Amino acid sequence: MIGAMDDDLVFKALADPTRRSLLDRLFARDGRTLTELEAQLEMTRFGVMKHLKVLEGAGLVVSRKRGREKLHFLNPVPIRQIHDRWISKYRAHEVSALLDLKTRLEDTA
Amino acid sequence: MTTMTDTTTQVYQLYIRATPEQVWDAITNPETIARYFHGAQLDPGPLEVGASRRTWSPDRSRLWGDNTILECDPPRRFVHTWRSLYDDELAAEDESRVTWEIEPAQSGTSKLTLIHDKLEGAPKTAASVRGWSFILSNLKTVLETGEPFPAEE
Repeated sequence: MIGAMDDDLVFKALADPTRRSLLDRLFARDGRTLTELEAQLEMTRFGVMKHLKVLEGAGLVVSRKRGREKLHFLNPVPIRQIHDRWISKYRAHEVSALLDLKTRLEDTA
Repeated sequence: MTTMTDTTTQVYQLYIRATPEQVWDAITNPETIARYFHGAQLDPGPLEVGASRRTWSPDRSRLWGDNTILECDPPRRFVHTWRSLYDDELAAEDESRVTWEIEPAQSGTSKLTLIHDKLEGAPKTAASVRGWSFILSNLKTVLETGEPFPAEE
């Protein structure tokens, strides 16, 4: 779970539309049960569990027990570390200004 | 749909190539904290339940936080209250809670989990503390390279 291997697991986990969609759902509303996540996907409970396991293995999702339920949380730290690897803090401002511009232009289009 | 969704808890987790004792030191020692937490200056004080943790801006002109230790179990678990005082709107919100959990992991690493919860009465604080990713990423750099992280400006 350290160093270069970390990044491999993160990129492999992200290279799947269903898993990205699970992260989108947690980003919109964090701390969800498997049942909640499963309800909105055209997929078996077992399928969702398998995808969550890959995301947890990459550290992108962390689960915590709450009473008898298991809640899933989006862990943004691995993505931050990938960001820090290629975007120095001196350039972060320019990158975010360009992304703001893109959002503004595309919203008015 | 179940009502178990928890939108007022944030969870952050990372592995750091350091012992649990080193991680504990990094989250409690004022000198180390200044190196990864925006140059924050923490007043020295006892590490015990009920003790206060006052944090100041780098030049000590502004109080950034005045939090109370709720649990202290070195080098495993550290819990304290949270209120951001550097901004009036945030300062007016309810107090929330920060829990640090440190567990030994494989190959000489430690797993650090930060849980920021009880954010029900602090929606603006909840949005602002998304910056924990940045802080924790800096903390890892400081511990693994031993180099001071340059202050963010």
